[in-house]
Amino acid sequence: MAEHSLITDYHAALAAELPAELAEEVIDGLIEADAKYRQQGLNADSAARAAIREFGEPSVVAAEFTQAAPAKRIARRLMVTGPVVGVCWGAALIEARAWQWPVPGFIRVVLGAVLAGSVIVLLMAVLTRRYRRVHRACTLACIGLAAVDVLALTSVLVGAPSFGWLVGAAACVSAARLAFVARSFRRVLSWS
Amino acid sequence: MQAEQLKGHLDSLLLAALEDGPRHGYAVMEALRESTGGRLALPTGTVYPALHRLEAAGLIAGRWSVVAGRRRRCYTLTDAGERALSGRRAEWRDFAAVIGAALEGKPWPSTA
Repeated sequence: MAEHSLITDYHAALAAELPAELAEEVIDGLIEADAKYRQQGLNADSAARAAIREFGEPSVVAAEFTQAAPAKRIARRLMVTGPVVGVCWGAALIEARAWQWPVPGFIRVVLGAVLAGSVIVLLMAVLTRRYRRVHRACTLACIGLAAVDVLALTSVLVGAPSFGWLVGAAACVSAARLAFVARSFRRVLSWS
Repeated sequence: MQAEQLKGHLDSLLLAALEDGPRHGYAVMEALRESTGGRLALPTGTVYPALHRLEAAGLIAGRWSVVAGRRRRCYTLTDAGERALSGRRAEWRDFAAVIGAALEGKPWPSTA
């Protein structure tokens, strides 16, 4: 049985928003629904329309996939935990008088720029309703935050003449976030 | 019953629909429709993201196969999913009993 043009259009609309496998899975179900309505006696046009009505508009389905995407949850968690990491580092660096550390100026600039960029893309990942944008933004944020944490840890190890427990605690928090980002990154990639 | 009312219960319903064996997304929805007498007003397309969420949580496992020349993803309840379903059933029975007792004005059945 040939696929109705309405179903082909639905497939194209979904595939424009979602990875091919997700669209393919939904279309398999839509074809099943179409066949069910044809068996109930509807003509081809009515059956395809009834099946699409039953499934909901492609934008609704894509929006649900976006909300359920691991990248969305990961971005929200990073957004919530980000200020905690920031406060830990802020307190630690003030206590350790970090401005006196022999860390090159360009490293400080790069660290600040990468941090600001990561926060912006993280915010985009949390707010956007487009599946692919969520994944791209979350992937970039994971890479950016990992770079920030690695740079911060390296600066402490190389640049700090000595450090107290606050810097140690901030380093532990950064290491924990690095581990979370590394684990999350695999999940984000597997859903994209 | 509207989708809004199902919030918080959809996952349990999906797990229950997979209790009898592996099913693909549309078969899960058909099973739900059958078990509820067609009273669920839920866009079928939104069931798929929920299935993926359950899979990501390790409660169900998905597997691709080929049927009638089309690729199809079927889902099976995992051990963790069976435990989760059992827990949610018990919670639901408690909840329904408490709310039912309050709404009907009957005393809560004591087990003492």
